[in-house]
This record gives sequence, structure tokens and C-alpha cells, in this order.
Amino acid sequence: MYYVDLLISGVAFGCLYAMATMGLTLVYGLLRILHIAHAALFTLGAFVGVWVFNASGSLIVGLIVAILAAVVMGCLIYRLIYESILSQPPYVPLLASLGVLIFLQDGFRIVFGEEGLTVRHNPFYMANFTIGAFSINVIYIVMAGGALISMAVLAFFANYSRHGIAWRATVSRPLLAANFGVNVIQVRYAAFAAGSALAAIAGVLVALMNNLVEPHSGELISYKGLAIIVLGGLGNMQGAFIASLVLGIAESFGIGLAGRYVDRDAIAAVALIATLMIFPNGIGRART
Amino acid sequence: MLELQDFSCGYGGTAAVESLNCTFAAGALTALLGPNGAGKTSTLMAVMGHVAPMGGRILFEGRDITNRPPVDRSKIGIAVVPEGRQLFGDLTVEENLIVGGYSLPVAAARAEQEQVYSLFPRLAERRAQISGSLSGGEQQMLAIGRALMAKPKLLLIDELSLGLMPKMVDVCIEALTRVRQNGLTIVLVEQNTSRALSIADHVYVLASGRCVMHGSSAEVKDNTEIFEAYVGIH
Amino acid sequence: MTGYHLSLISLTGIMIVFAVSLNMIMGLCGQVSLGHAAFYGVGAYVTAMMSAGGVPTLYALPVGMLIAGLMGLIVGFASLRVRDDFLAITTLAVGFLFVGVVRKSRALGGEFGISGIPESGLGPAGDAFLVAFCVVLTVALSVYLSRNWTGLAFRSISANEEAAQTLGINSAHYKLLAFCIGCALAGLAGGLYANYARFIVPGTFGFSLSITAAAMVVIGGIGSTAGVVAGAVLLTLFPEIFRFLGDYRMLVYGALLVGVMLFQPKGLAGIPSMVRRWAGPR
Ligand SMILES: Nc1ncnc2c1ncn2[C@@H]1O[C@H](COP(=O)(O)OP(=O)(O)OP(=O)(O)O)[C@@H](O)[C@H]1O
Ligand SMILES: [Mg+2]
Repeated sequence: MYYVDLLISGVAFGCLYAMATMGLTLVYGLLRILHIAHAALFTLGAFVGVWVFNASGSLIVGLIVAILAAVVMGCLIYRLIYESILSQPPYVPLLASLGVLIFLQDGFRIVFGEEGLTVRHNPFYMANFTIGAFSINVIYIVMAGGALISMAVLAFFANYSRHGIAWRATVSRPLLAANFGVNVIQVRYAAFAAGSALAAIAGVLVALMNNLVEPHSGELISYKGLAIIVLGGLGNMQGAFIASLVLGIAESFGIGLAGRYVDRDAIAAVALIATLMIFPNGIGRART
Repeated sequence: MLELQDFSCGYGGTAAVESLNCTFAAGALTALLGPNGAGKTSTLMAVMGHVAPMGGRILFEGRDITNRPPVDRSKIGIAVVPEGRQLFGDLTVEENLIVGGYSLPVAAARAEQEQVYSLFPRLAERRAQISGSLSGGEQQMLAIGRALMAKPKLLLIDELSLGLMPKMVDVCIEALTRVRQNGLTIVLVEQNTSRALSIADHVYVLASGRCVMHGSSAEVKDNTEIFEAYVGIH
Repeated sequence: MTGYHLSLISLTGIMIVFAVSLNMIMGLCGQVSLGHAAFYGVGAYVTAMMSAGGVPTLYALPVGMLIAGLMGLIVGFASLRVRDDFLAITTLAVGFLFVGVVRKSRALGGEFGISGIPESGLGPAGDAFLVAFCVVLTVALSVYLSRNWTGLAFRSISANEEAAQTLGINSAHYKLLAFCIGCALAGLAGGLYANYARFIVPGTFGFSLSITAAAMVVIGGIGSTAGVVAGAVLLTLFPEIFRFLGDYRMLVYGALLVGVMLFQPKGLAGIPSMVRRWAGPR
């Protein structure tokens, strides 16, 4: 029973990680940038979503405004920060990205306050779904469902639409894709927009789970996001999804079994180090 | 069709090609020959917009395209079969073709795809296969097919026969002969000189970034001394 | 000079040792490390535990260095197996692992850390002198390494590993050496910090300290010892210099980091040549 509970929460967290960090995978695939500021878009989505939800009473409206805000901010980060430093060595965009993260997190603290925002009428608060002896938090179901649906939409787009195929071609060979009429810049904006939108949804879901969003909420995914894209094989979407699930489940069982000796982040770290020692190039297929 | 006027280009300030004057006539197959490092690939990639121009002009159908961004090339009618094929290796055969026809309207791209499949039935059989796992010959067919998907007026081919067995080269050349009947202009970079001379109308020979001789295939063949000095007959 | 100034100077010295030690791994050897705070933490905890157990600070410091250096050696072996981005993430994970383990360890004081670390007995001036001595030692070693043949080999690894290998330079050797020395010196800095603060908590040695060190190296100018010293001074005194910003310090810090990366990615070390370019004849 206990192990089933661990598995359920592990899968729910894994799905959430996948959704929250897909933007990192998309951006890394196209630009080879470790876009750590992505974590701030997760927090931005959560703040805007909760604020609008509290003010308007409609979760849907909150979600839509959150997505818009994150998409605009994500595209701005590309345009104002990354575009001019793409040809620099990788640590330059990485540190610039970190600067953006610090800046935005402190911005959230100043605007929304140290304590952050609490969800006023949380429909998922203490809500459980019971089948027989099992009782699952409804928010877990929503997290897993939301992640799976949004990932499925993204995968469908990438595999079956012309623009999605052109996008993957750009990841594979950007210069050549341009020669066939693919507008590489538009593809980049699309990647930032899609990744940021997913991060915003994930942010709102986590805020609903915790009933709260704080300026530092994004740290939950900032370094784990990097770990996930590395494990997933750098820019490989399926790989990242699998890595997210593995990480979620490993954390869940790790805390359940060894929580007295190490914390959540350290369990993820052990899983990460062990995996990299066995597969020095990540789990996912190494991209050519 | 394509004209290079006093054209130079290079990498990071060092010239790879200097003061090149070439004319590629409409409907003709022009061969670009020369030893390794002569600047053949650089010339083609400059036409595709990937090597920085350092002087002179590139004219396509009379229009100056020297500084147009790479993304315009397929719209104005230029396509490339790059050195080493450069397929989108994670994509399937069909997806590679779809990207090739990205600048066409959907219906036109579909029709073009059927044309490519009838030109290379082998590709039709393997349409769902990941292109990275094709054999060398199949990859070259796909690279040609992908370029043809854009319905180009001018096709640039870099190292058609590289790493292919003679029978595969025959298949590719036979396909090119067929598409030429529709008036396609071709620029062919080739290491297999005798093969190239047998199908080319006109020849340019490059060495160390400069044009050292040019003329019709027949003229070049007659002038064996100079020619062999630069490329040798295989 | 007030006690406050003296304490600020000591802290700055400690951060110089720490940043220069990271530069040996990042700058001279080209291996990005995002978990350097863990080795600083190892040095701090070893020194703190030993001092609390009655061992004089001057004996505890080298032991902390040794243990941090050995741990660096282990990570060095990892760096032979994984590289580039993967190594950066591995070191990041090492950082989280350290904090995670210390946080839950009753013996190391858990979340509350170790307080009441006894004084070294050298007095305020003696402590400041000790820090100054370590700064001079570290900087001299860094300059020596980057000038000398070892430094040459280090840098050829960071420029091009394969080329270095074909030249017969055993890059594995130098990577291990770089991690070992760099982490030992980080341990020294950590030990000095424990002696300086006399109270340590696990949170101090987390991701943000690792990033601060990396920022010092990069803002100073990766590979340049003088630049990194300047970077360490600037970022350590940042809260003092920008005291007038009050509550908005982190905001400005983030913006500054972005600004440097956008407009001066070679860091402070790039400024002299930039000035020369302006001042020189056109
Ligand atoms: N990406 C690049 N960066 C710098 N220099 C390059 C680059 N590509 C080619 N060069 C240089 O430009 C010159 C011309 O090279 P290019 O590849 O155009 O020759 P090529 O005629 O195609 O040779 P090959 O027959 O070997 O393919 C060479 O001196 C080469 O070293
Ligand atoms: Mg070539």
C-alpha cells in the first residue's frame, strides 16, 4: 500500500517535472543554452495565475493569463538576452541566464512580498479521490493528466505537422533547414513560447498543490531541470520525459526509504551521479 | 542563370575563394573541379548564404543575391545537395522530403513528393525509415530528392559520387539526366573527374581559391597538360 | 581600523582563496564546476569539528585541506569519464549531495550546523594575518601554475583536449591534479571561514555559493588570476558598496551579472585591453 502511494506521487512529480522542464529541452536542442532562467517563468506563471484566480475567481482565466505572461517573458528573454550572445562560450549565456533568474526572483519578492500568495478558494485543497482502499490526492491526478495531455499535444505537433517537422529539422541542422525555407528565428520563438507556456501551467499546478506560491518556488525545478535535460540526452524530448519520470519516482522512493539520511535534492543528485557514471552521455540516444 | 562576378569569400577574414568569375548558363550542367581545399565547397556554400562574402557579387537571374539571408534561397529557386549529404538524421525519409518542400504550398509539395518517389522508388519503399540508418547510396538519393522537393531552378551538388559504389553513382546520374529534361540548371562538384567530364557541358577548374582554367568539356579534355597538372584524370 | 573593517577584509581574503581555487579548475583546466561550495563546506566542517574537539586551528586547517583535496580527486576521476555540460551537471549534483547529507546528519549538527567553534587563539590580528598569508600563498601558486609548464599543460587541455593528448601531454594527469589542488584550496578557504564565522550552517554551502564563486571567476575573467582576485573582491564587497540600494541589492546583482555577460564577457580581465584599444591610435 505504502509503495503504491510512493509510486503514485513519484509518477505525479515526474510528469510535473517533464512539463516544467520541457522548455529547457526545447531551448537546449535549438540553441545549446542551459536556460536556467526558465525556472523563473514557472514562478511567474504561478504568481500571475494565482493572483488572477484570486481576483477573478476563475481558474481558467488565471491559467490563460499566466500562460500569456510566461510566453511574453520567455520570448523577451530570448530577444533581449540570448540573441546577442549565442556565439559566446556556453558559460556566458549560462551565467547571463542565472542573472535573469536572480533578477526575476528578487522582482517577485518585491512585487508579491516575501511570503508570496496563497490560493484563496483552492478547489483541490485536501481533495481526495477514493477507489476501494486507495485514496489519491486529486491534484496528483490533475498534475499527471495535465502533463500527459500537454506532452501529447506537443509530440503530435512535432511528429505530424509540417511546422513541427521543420522544427525538428532545425534542431538537427539549423543552417541547412534555413536553406529549405525554414525561418529559424521563428522556430526559436516558437520553442520559447511553447516551453514557457508549459512551465506556466506547471507553476499554477504546483501552486494549487502547495496552496501557495513563493518567490523561490522555481528553485524546485531550476537545477533538476538541468539534470533532466542532461539525463534525457540533451535536447531529446522523449529522453527528457523518461528522465523526468525516473527522477520523480527515484525521489519519491528515496524519501520514503532513506529520508532520514538525505533530503529530496540529494536523492536526485545521487540518482543523477549514478546515472552519469554508468551512461556518461545521458540516457537518451546521443544526438548526431 | 547564376553568375559570380569578381567574387571572394572566406572564413573569419581569411579568403577561401578569391576573385572568381564564373557564369553558369541556364539549362546547362556545369562541373566545378579542383584538388582538395580548392574552394569548391566554399563557393557553393557562399551561394547558399553560409560563407561570408568578401568582395564581388553573386547574381541569380540577374538579381544581386550576395547578401540575401540563407532562408530566401529556396523561395527564389536554389537548392543544394551538400557535401556529405547532411540529412536531417533523426527524421524519417518522408519527413526529410517534407522539409525539402517546406517553401511550397502543401498540395504542391505532395505532388512533388510523388515525383521524387517515382524518380527513386527505393525511397518510397523506405519512407518511414529514420534517414540516419539508410545506406550511403540511399542517403545520397534522399539528399537529391530533398533538394528536388523545393522545385529548384538551380541545383548545386557537392561531391555526388563520394563514398558510393559505381552502380549507385549510375543511379544518381541517371536520375539527374531525367530531371535535366525539365530545364533544371545544375552545378556539380565532383572528385571523379572523368565521370564529371562525360556529363558536363561546361567546366571550371579551381585551385587554391582561384579559377585556373575553364571551357567546354571538350576543350578542357583537349588541354590535357594543364588539366592533369591540377586535377589528374581518374 | 575597526573590528568591522578587519572582519570585512578577512572575509574578502577568504573569498579570494575560494575564487582563485575554482579558477584553477575552470580557468586553467577548462572544466566547469558548479558545485565548488561543497569542497569549501568540507573544509569548513572538518576544521569546525576538529576545533570543537580541541585540536588547534593551525593543525585542523591542513587536515580540512587534505580531505577536501581527496574528495576533489574523486570528482576528478568523474571528470575523466564525463565531460563538458555533463561534468558541469555532475559537479552541481555533488554540491546538492553534500548539503543534503550534512543537513540530515545528526553528528554534523543537522539543519542547525555547528556553533560555538572555539577561537584560534591567534587574536584578531593573528587571524587576519593567517588569512593574508593564505591569500598570498594561493595567488602565488596560481600565478606559478599558470606561468609554468604545468600551467601550459593545463591550458592546453582547456583549449583542446585531443591536441594536448597527441602532443603527449597526459590530460588525465593534469585534470586530476587541477581538481585535487583546486578543491584542497577550497577546503582551506572553508576552514578559514569556519574559524572566521565560528558558526556554520549547511545552507551556507549550497548552490548559490557555488554560483557566486563561478560568477567571481567569470566576472573577473576566466583564467586570469588578477581578474579573478578583482572579481572576488568586487562581489564580496558588493553588499557593502551597494548598501544604499537597500532592499534591491539582489535585483541589481542579477542585472549586473546579465550586463557583464552581455557587454563584457571577458570579464574585468578584458578591461585593460579594451581601454588600450580606446586610448591607442585608431
Ligand atoms: N568552416 C571553415 N572554417 C575555416 N576555414 C575553412 C572552413 N571550411 C573550409 N575552410 C578552408 O577554406 C579552404 C577551401 O575549402 P573548401 O572546403 O571550400 O575546399 P574544397 O574544394 O571543397 O575541398 P574538398 O575537395 O576537400 O572538399 C580550405 O583552405 C579550407 O581549409
Ligand atoms: Mg568540398
